[in-house]
Amino acid sequence: MDSLIPAESMQLVGERLSEPIAATIHTEDAQRFALATDDRNPIYFDEAAARKAGYRTLPVPPTLLAWALAPPRPLDDLRVDGLFHAAGRRIPLNVDRVMAAGEEWEFLAPIYVEDRITAETRLHSLEEKVGRSGPFVVQIAETRFTNQDGELVALQRAGGIAR
Amino acid sequence: MSAQRFLDDIKAGDELPALIKCASRAQLFLFSAATLNPHRIHYDIDYAREEGHPDLLVHGPLQGAWLHQFVRDWVGPAGRIQELSWQNRSSAFPESDLTFRGRVTEIDGGDVLLEVWEEDEDGNVLMPGRAKVQLPKR
Repeated sequence: MDSLIPAESMQLVGERLSEPIAATIHTEDAQRFALATDDRNPIYFDEAAARKAGYRTLPVPPTLLAWALAPPRPLDDLRVDGLFHAAGRRIPLNVDRVMAAGEEWEFLAPIYVEDRITAETRLHSLEEKVGRSGPFVVQIAETRFTNQDGELVALQRAGGIAR
Repeated sequence: MSAQRFLDDIKAGDELPALIKCASRAQLFLFSAATLNPHRIHYDIDYAREEGHPDLLVHGPLQGAWLHQFVRDWVGPAGRIQELSWQNRSSAFPESDLTFRGRVTEIDGGDVLLEVWEEDEDGNVLMPGRAKVQLPKR
């Protein structure tokens, strides 16, 4: 059986997948995310509550970082499953679709509303496995998030299952 | 919103109060919108079935955000989450109760380690995870 992972894709492990991306996380973005998850914690909405909890101003729900920096993309970039083709460097895989497999986060410093965050993503690992419904690929990308002061605020390893 | 929890008051084996979530289809849409996520399995039922799913799927990252909320509420305003991880092991569906549970596994100096998970209405674990948190002292 042919591998789902072409040899040239294995060469990308450890490599940066795209140029760093940066965006400002606005108060509205942070609050829209908190409300979409039905999280009414006052630290996200009430300056006084945030300060009392030891924050400088309103913090951002930190897992939003994984989404808040995505640049605008044209519809031509959409795949059949509705996701955008990976930005920057493609990781060629002989698969049709990808599903979220899990995430590991380290939260190293608070992320505040209106922070300008830069993300740099590298391919952490690619591994082919076989499950009940056939072979699949576990792809893990590591993203380091830094703020406008150059402080590393969070580190994420996100896993995808491609089959 | 939770009261403050203190390191002095907890011990290994303590259970976290459960958090129950039940996503409407509109909430799935709003989470897709808040995260600019156009993945069709979260809003296009015909496409979801084409991929073999019985219904729309609750986003893995939405369940992750709920897990963060569950732990954040437990540590209280002055507590901090240092590490959080989860595995999306089985699919979660809308209009069905999803329960977040956890327990203290270890207290190492000021670090508190938690085992956390999400289960469906039948008690199946959909999403196991771990957290490392810090709590203030009294």
